[in-house]
Amino acid sequence: MKRRTFLMGSGAAVTVAAMGNRVALAQPMPDELVWADDLPGNLDPYSVSDVPMQGYMINVYDTLYVNKENPPKLVPWLATGHTISDDGLTVTVKLREGVKFHDGSSLTSDDVVWSFHRLLNVKKGPAAAFLPVLDTNGITAPDPTTAVFKLKQPYAPFVAAFPLVAILNRRQIEPNIKDNDWGQAWLASNSAGSGCYIPDISTYQPVQQLDMKRNHDHFMGWTHNTSPIEIVRRRSIMETTTRVNALIKGDVDCTDSYLPPDQVDRVLASKTATVSKNQTMRVMVLRMNNKKPPFDNRNFRLAMSHAFNYKGFIDGVLKGYAVRNAGPIPVNLWGSPTDLAPYDFNLDTAKDYLAKAKAEGAPVEREIEIQIQQHLAQTTQAAQILQQSLRKIGVNLKIVANLWPQLVSSTAKADTTPDMWAHWVSAYFIDPENWIGQMYDSRFHGTWKASCWYKNDKVDALLREARHLDDQGKRQPLYEEASRIIVADAADIWIYNAIELRGISNRLHGFEFTPIGSGADFRTMSLTS
Amino acid sequence: MTRFVLHRLLLTIPALVGLLVLTFIMLRVLPNDPSAALAGENATPDQIAAVRKAYGFDEPLWKQFVIYVRQVGTGDLGNSIISNRPVIRDIAERLPATIELTFISLLFAACVGIPLGTLAAVWYQSFFDHAMRVVTVAGLAIASFWFAIILQMIFAMELDWLPLRGRFPVGLAAPWHITGFYLVDSLLTLRFDLFGKAFAHILMPAFTLSLAGLASIARFTRAGALETMQKEFVHYAEAAGYARRRIVWVYVLRNSVVGATTQIGLLFGGLISSAVAVEAIFDWPGVGSYAVNAILTSDYKAVLAVTLVVGLIYSIVNILVDVVHAWLDPRVAEKL
Repeated sequence: MKRRTFLMGSGAAVTVAAMGNRVALAQPMPDELVWADDLPGNLDPYSVSDVPMQGYMINVYDTLYVNKENPPKLVPWLATGHTISDDGLTVTVKLREGVKFHDGSSLTSDDVVWSFHRLLNVKKGPAAAFLPVLDTNGITAPDPTTAVFKLKQPYAPFVAAFPLVAILNRRQIEPNIKDNDWGQAWLASNSAGSGCYIPDISTYQPVQQLDMKRNHDHFMGWTHNTSPIEIVRRRSIMETTTRVNALIKGDVDCTDSYLPPDQVDRVLASKTATVSKNQTMRVMVLRMNNKKPPFDNRNFRLAMSHAFNYKGFIDGVLKGYAVRNAGPIPVNLWGSPTDLAPYDFNLDTAKDYLAKAKAEGAPVEREIEIQIQQHLAQTTQAAQILQQSLRKIGVNLKIVANLWPQLVSSTAKADTTPDMWAHWVSAYFIDPENWIGQMYDSRFHGTWKASCWYKNDKVDALLREARHLDDQGKRQPLYEEASRIIVADAADIWIYNAIELRGISNRLHGFEFTPIGSGADFRTMSLTS
Repeated sequence: MTRFVLHRLLLTIPALVGLLVLTFIMLRVLPNDPSAALAGENATPDQIAAVRKAYGFDEPLWKQFVIYVRQVGTGDLGNSIISNRPVIRDIAERLPATIELTFISLLFAACVGIPLGTLAAVWYQSFFDHAMRVVTVAGLAIASFWFAIILQMIFAMELDWLPLRGRFPVGLAAPWHITGFYLVDSLLTLRFDLFGKAFAHILMPAFTLSLAGLASIARFTRAGALETMQKEFVHYAEAAGYARRRIVWVYVLRNSVVGATTQIGLLFGGLISSAVAVEAIFDWPGVGSYAVNAILTSDYKAVLAVTLVVGLIYSIVNILVDVVHAWLDPRVAEKL
């Protein structure tokens, strides 16, 4: 065979082989779900507490309680129930019997105690909700189905925070502990859970991909779902356009839950996918550093609050896929006053407040700075809308791009915290404490959530009292009163409560949205051809 | 030649140390403390301080650098603060994908760019020459992410000829790992079906990535060929009655691709950095997308490691280019 003939033949063979893949490549497997949402940075559920981790954790691990439905309800899961002592200091949790980890060993209260010990020693992610009120000596297991938590002080959101804590299999982790690291290095790339899906660790590539198979022996059984999904292939797609195209083409079964509003019509127009729209509990807020002049002046903050075009932003940028949120607590959560009037966009009013602030000596002429999150376009758009309005009333706003880690570290001190910055407060546990409690109680100064450096003794007292009461009926008016004061003080600019937009393929059924984990609970899902 | 290669290798060491110092300074002089992000969204100041101490971020910068250099000296590039795995392991898993993509792009750019440039020189001032110049200017000017999306829309979404994203079909086992390059591994294991799949996946990203390189190589080759064609030996060959084809594709080409060869070496580094955007759009699991994640999460050890590894590859490729250069033009080696 001549060299040229050989080369031509090889080329033709390659072309045919490549083209021959065309049909197969476009066809998803009938019993395999391709979930194209972000994966957490690593697989240790105590390393970080963010939305991707929640989406991973609710499938691979079990927790004492879980959140179901929307608005979320706290439902016993590994627990059958709990009691709280009259003084609010002792929480006793009863556990189910017969729960097995993925390796077949039994899950008992001993594992619950060890898991909480690990949480409090690792001191990362979800530990924040427990560290102020719990230490390792306060957790005991009097019998295999009972775990007792003795708190240092009453803490009403304690049980609401249980869904943050995965119960781990100590028998799998302990042999892999190195340098007293509680198995962190090992668990970052492995699993030790009991959840309804079992990761195939051989497929794991950090933040890129992970396959999971169904846990047929999960303690909750599968009778609720006649055709559960056997294999879940999690694939993280970085680029939004590619993610949406992959959904429309049928390569994947979902996008993440932050589908840009301008892509909604495109997905809806396709024959292969639809968009799930769910009001969640994620409040967008423009923070103002209340300790830095001129933001230490209430009239200046009021001027800023009236200078943001809320309707323009929600209707224009978000195409209406958001709900105006008047204060710090999501409007669909108890504790948010139903009669709380949101600030309106009114530049005349803003001018009046600006004049008052100036008369009071506030340096309103100085250039102020807002820091946006570089890779989140909405933060830029919000800043630009504010900048445009402020220019009309003579305030010069400079927009500076930054990244989340830098922004968070800058909020450790008042003088390094930006004048303004934009972010969301997501649902980590369903209690007003997650929002108003951690954002406006001055004891949290130095954390990113409390980065407006707001200080009001009355609000501190209300929030601390609410935190210590067990009765929701008594807590609600306290949060409502605190909300009214904080909004009247214009501590921040609260814009909207998000409507999560997730593209899902038409063959996917049983998608049940809950703000925790953004509906990534594969247990309820099934696929049709 | 051995002395020549050794000389080039020795020069690589200070270059890499300089790269390390610069990258470390750029990353760590900025107010860039990832402790807060690492500690989690609800972390207390105590938690953040504990994380800062655990990762050594509370030490003076010079000390952090000395510790890091000592680690690198022993071949340990440290652990990613996000994945909590050795960064070298993360990179090793992804590097073959990037090298494969870059190599195929470069191969395509060279195989198309060199003949195009030569033909443009042969048909100087013809319609072909003008058209080629317009196309190469466009190739240099077009943003790769825009071009990538256009390719996706046409060949994946409309025509359904090529896969939209990824390196291999989801759910299909990759070729048995020998080199980590799917095209090579599938051929070595005689899995031509897998080769076809890998080839189909690499076509669009490689073509996108090659565009600027192709244009650059074509222009360099054209300039080199034009210059060579004015040389006396070409006129002598023509007068001696050598076939035109032989003169152009053997004598002229060999003498005019020296410049283009140097350009290929430079392009390799450029292609690896351009791969960041291309990998993101085509969801190509290479070091480019890894680097983007590392930057967004302030995973500075991962960023440093990627910089170092890419720098090392760039140096090696340039040494190879110098060797080829010396082979094409023995006067280069003789000067050393």
